[in-house]
Amino acid sequence: MDKAKTTKKKFDFTKYMALVALIILVIIITVLNPQFIAPNNLLNLLRQASVNALIAFGMTFVILTSGIDLSVGSILAFTGAISASLILGGTPAWLAALIGLAIGALLGALNGVFITWGKVTPFIATLATMTIWRGATYVFTGGNPITGGKMNTSYFFQFVGQGYLFGIPFPVIITLIAFIICYVLLHKTAFGRKTFALGGNEKAAFVAGVKTKKLLIIIYTISGLFAALAGFILTSRLGSAQPDAGMSYEMDAIASTVIGGASLMGGKGRMAGTLVGALLIASLSNGMNLLGINSFYQQIVKGVVILIAVMIDSQTQKNRE
Amino acid sequence: MMNIKNFSKRLMKIATAASVLLLAGGILAGCGSTGLSNSSGSSSKVEKKAPKDLKIGVSISTLTNPAFVNLKNVISDYAKKHGSKVIIDDANNDTSKQNNDVEDLITQKVDALIINPCDSSAISTVVKKANDAKIPVICVDRSADSGKVVSTVASDNIAGGKKAANWLIEKLGENAKIAEIQGIPGASATRERGKGFDSIGDKKLNIVTKQTAQFDRAKALTVTENILQAHSDIKGIFAQNDEEAVGAARAVKAANKKITIIGFDGTLASLNLIQKGQITATVGQQWNKIGQESVQKVYDHYQNKKVPKNDKVAVKIITKNNVASFKKQVYNK
Amino acid sequence: MKIEMKGIEKSFGTNKVLRGVDFDVHSGEVHALMGENGAGKSTLMNILTGLLKKDAGSIKVDDHDTTYASALDAEHHGISFIHQEMNNFAEMSVVDNMFLNKEIKTKLGLVDQKKMRKEARQYLVNLGSDIDVDSKMGDLTVGQQQMVEIAKSLMINAKIIIMDEPTAALTENETAILFKTIRELRSNSVGFIYISHRMEELWQICDRVTVMRDGLSVNTYQTKDVAENQIVHDMVGRDIGDYYPGRHPHLGEVALKAEHLSGKKFHDISFEVHEGEILGFSGLMGAGRTETMRALFGIDKLSSGKIYVAGKETKLTSPSVSIKKGIGFLTEDRKNEGLITEQSLEDNIALPSIDTFRKHGIIDKKAEDKFADMLIKRLTVKANNAQVTAGSLSGGNQQKVVLAKWVGSGSKILILDEPTRGVDVGAKKEIYELMNQLTDRHVAIIMISSDLPEVLSMSDRIEVLYEGKQMGVINAQGATQEQVMKLATGGK
Repeated sequence: MDKAKTTKKKFDFTKYMALVALIILVIIITVLNPQFIAPNNLLNLLRQASVNALIAFGMTFVILTSGIDLSVGSILAFTGAISASLILGGTPAWLAALIGLAIGALLGALNGVFITWGKVTPFIATLATMTIWRGATYVFTGGNPITGGKMNTSYFFQFVGQGYLFGIPFPVIITLIAFIICYVLLHKTAFGRKTFALGGNEKAAFVAGVKTKKLLIIIYTISGLFAALAGFILTSRLGSAQPDAGMSYEMDAIASTVIGGASLMGGKGRMAGTLVGALLIASLSNGMNLLGINSFYQQIVKGVVILIAVMIDSQTQKNRE
Repeated sequence: MMNIKNFSKRLMKIATAASVLLLAGGILAGCGSTGLSNSSGSSSKVEKKAPKDLKIGVSISTLTNPAFVNLKNVISDYAKKHGSKVIIDDANNDTSKQNNDVEDLITQKVDALIINPCDSSAISTVVKKANDAKIPVICVDRSADSGKVVSTVASDNIAGGKKAANWLIEKLGENAKIAEIQGIPGASATRERGKGFDSIGDKKLNIVTKQTAQFDRAKALTVTENILQAHSDIKGIFAQNDEEAVGAARAVKAANKKITIIGFDGTLASLNLIQKGQITATVGQQWNKIGQESVQKVYDHYQNKKVPKNDKVAVKIITKNNVASFKKQVYNK
Repeated sequence: MKIEMKGIEKSFGTNKVLRGVDFDVHSGEVHALMGENGAGKSTLMNILTGLLKKDAGSIKVDDHDTTYASALDAEHHGISFIHQEMNNFAEMSVVDNMFLNKEIKTKLGLVDQKKMRKEARQYLVNLGSDIDVDSKMGDLTVGQQQMVEIAKSLMINAKIIIMDEPTAALTENETAILFKTIRELRSNSVGFIYISHRMEELWQICDRVTVMRDGLSVNTYQTKDVAENQIVHDMVGRDIGDYYPGRHPHLGEVALKAEHLSGKKFHDISFEVHEGEILGFSGLMGAGRTETMRALFGIDKLSSGKIYVAGKETKLTSPSVSIKKGIGFLTEDRKNEGLITEQSLEDNIALPSIDTFRKHGIIDKKAEDKFADMLIKRLTVKANNAQVTAGSLSGGNQQKVVLAKWVGSGSKILILDEPTRGVDVGAKKEIYELMNQLTDRHVAIIMISSDLPEVLSMSDRIEVLYEGKQMGVINAQGATQEQVMKLATGGK
């Protein structure tokens, strides 16, 4: 039946579900502890959200294709360690950052190759590379953090994670720029359209001339690139590359995209939703810290929020059908 | 239909307004400074404050390890006894979560920070932030690599490692075959305890294998089972924490072997097993002293008393002979 | 058993789908339910079998008011629904499929494979089928799967069997076997509700027919007393005249020439199609028509052969290359390969040409909107606007959207694989007219079709394939169904 005939361009309430949840959360926490809304804390919160948000941006592309990238946390640790050791060895920090990003992109592309040409499902392929790159990080670092030396003296290196530009934490600015780029890429370019098409129906997209293999490889490359970017920022924030950095970060990234309305079945999701999802997760942790809630309970609350978000989403989805 | 539509539109407006406010708040907060710090700076003189006027922020590395749970309890009891307020965060062994936690404590304008770092190097950046915010920092159990710390209260891990090695030599003789079960790779406890132990053990003991069990009881169980398969003739095991020692004891008991096990920490679980004879010894940390000392350092700081930069709390070997008194002293049990 | 449904009404939200339907069926008859897509046939059947709740009206089974709580409840009372898309488990064996949830168990509570196998075989033999009960469900042909479904209905002692377009995917042979089975069961006093789009089947197998339109039951006839025109009239609410608009081709240059194409399931196929021509491809299911075209378009691999587009040899290695060369492919499987059903008409239509809307890398949304609106108008897609999801349209309109996509990408050569399958009568005619318009603009069309009247009426020449081999080409003018069938079944 053509329901479209009865209601013209219906307002899509579900689109703003996550945003509404975020605002409600902000209001509740603010009422309980007004410190939350203090500008300094908001800056804190945004900075805390940035690493996860960056990973989640890349993850959004992947999830749109009904894929998944479990290896982001390991890529983050591996590239962070490489950049850090390059800086210690005397490489200019900007060059070390670029090399880290390039390696991240390469590892992402490798995921894509395993998935397309190797015909391994994304879950298994990235589960394997997750383990491989984590292991490689331990081997490379010998299990010890990489720290000190030039990392404490390079202004560029410290600025990336700890600096401020016009009073705004630099990671937040990077995240904002990354968001704008990803938003345009996903919603305004042919590349984005093809990504949606691939996620909606891979076979139909292929028949319609979308080079699906190439597209998938590019998408996993983007995911790897953003993991590496997050890795460099995290290394700078901590002033040290931790061998166990980024562990289980893939879960927070996936949660952010899903809270933001993306479907693991692919074809559905929005970049702005992911940003809101990342902010929501960061607000939860930050807010509960401010309220003095035990971290064990924090995990329970986080899980419940993810469940509720997805349940509301699929429920409204069902009602529409 | 119409109502929902209107409602949603209104919500949208509120949402937009709120987002704009959020951003505007952030930008205003900036006041235009660019560089590595965002502080506005104030006087450096310490204003005298009584314990009951103090709000102390505590960040613990993990609460899944009984030793740190005990530490947390000691700190919180001691501070409350003196009328201070305490806010406690648990970092879940995640370095970046700990940084977030500490930032949030700084935001809450605590008067002092007691930090039990997950990692000495990664904690430094937030220690510097606390310095910028003029909040005194006390490190517990692990140090911070850089940044200004009022005092570091810790067991002497390197000395503890050495003590464990010497005790094994004394007990089993030189060149006895032993296995070393290591902690989380890169964690400072792993490095320091290992360093102390190996400095003697590498020369005077026959360490047949060194494997990590991630400071985890279940992993230590598996690792020990495997070690017993590969090296059935070992005489002793050094576990870098007590959780691992407990796991190792289980494996040894299941294999029906007599092996000398020495752990590190002195948690209740391992003390109980020492009493039962399943674990031979542990390097006991005096958590009660460590916890109380760390809070006392805060009080001393606010009374403008001189505070020592490093407070190494002695460790001692606990065996069946002295376990009861140690238990009484640390846990009051 | 006798079922009487009276004045059935049903709404979804504000949308009234059934507005008072009367329908009855009894044991020992085949009662056809006809109507365009969206007329409410499936909704009516879902209400009968307890999947949906009615808003008003009555259902009487053997003169007692009855409402089934669920499809399972209906099954327990002897009403079985064989859906068009059969819900079976391709990786499980036939016997496991048949006894799913009704497993026979030994005294120990274990599954009694021996007994189940024996019973399964018995049911199939009773239907005159020799399907191996140990083979995987997914390895059976659609016709065989249909048989298993019927056997399942008999297992639960069904008195009334509802079949939704059972022949849509069957070959002539399989259809004949199915009809034989239905007739036998009918004489054993099983009743059938038979939903179909194939007009000729009414007189082959059905006793009565009820026509539905826009949520109303229009008329019920004895099939022997009614003519095709009357049914079509009832279905569309107006006289539709002759389905087929007829062909008046003006042939141009050779648009595409294929030489000695071979691949999986087809060998040594050569043909050419001219600008402005419709070249029909006929044959039984599995004759290799679809496989040939998929390989030509670059979806599957071609093992040998040469392809010339506009006289130049061209390697069509992937769909994206073929599209650049001006070829479009409307696939047989609309849902899985033709459309992205959850996305808007605009997104679907613009997909093959999306790269042409780039302006400094950003998509020119205004130009895209205009493009989609223009094509929706031109192909008379019935939708309120370009933003509704493709899945919300009826089959015929969906097919027009797929066509719009290829017309929009500037295809000079169009391959249409079963263009009117699952499309209702009114839309069928519109699609034929579109094909004529396209050939008037010098587009070359290759049409694969299993519908013989369609192939004969809408093609200029007909290539016939049999078991992957080319049997011959027939000039459509004056050709008969018998001529085509003879070649399609391997006769010379």
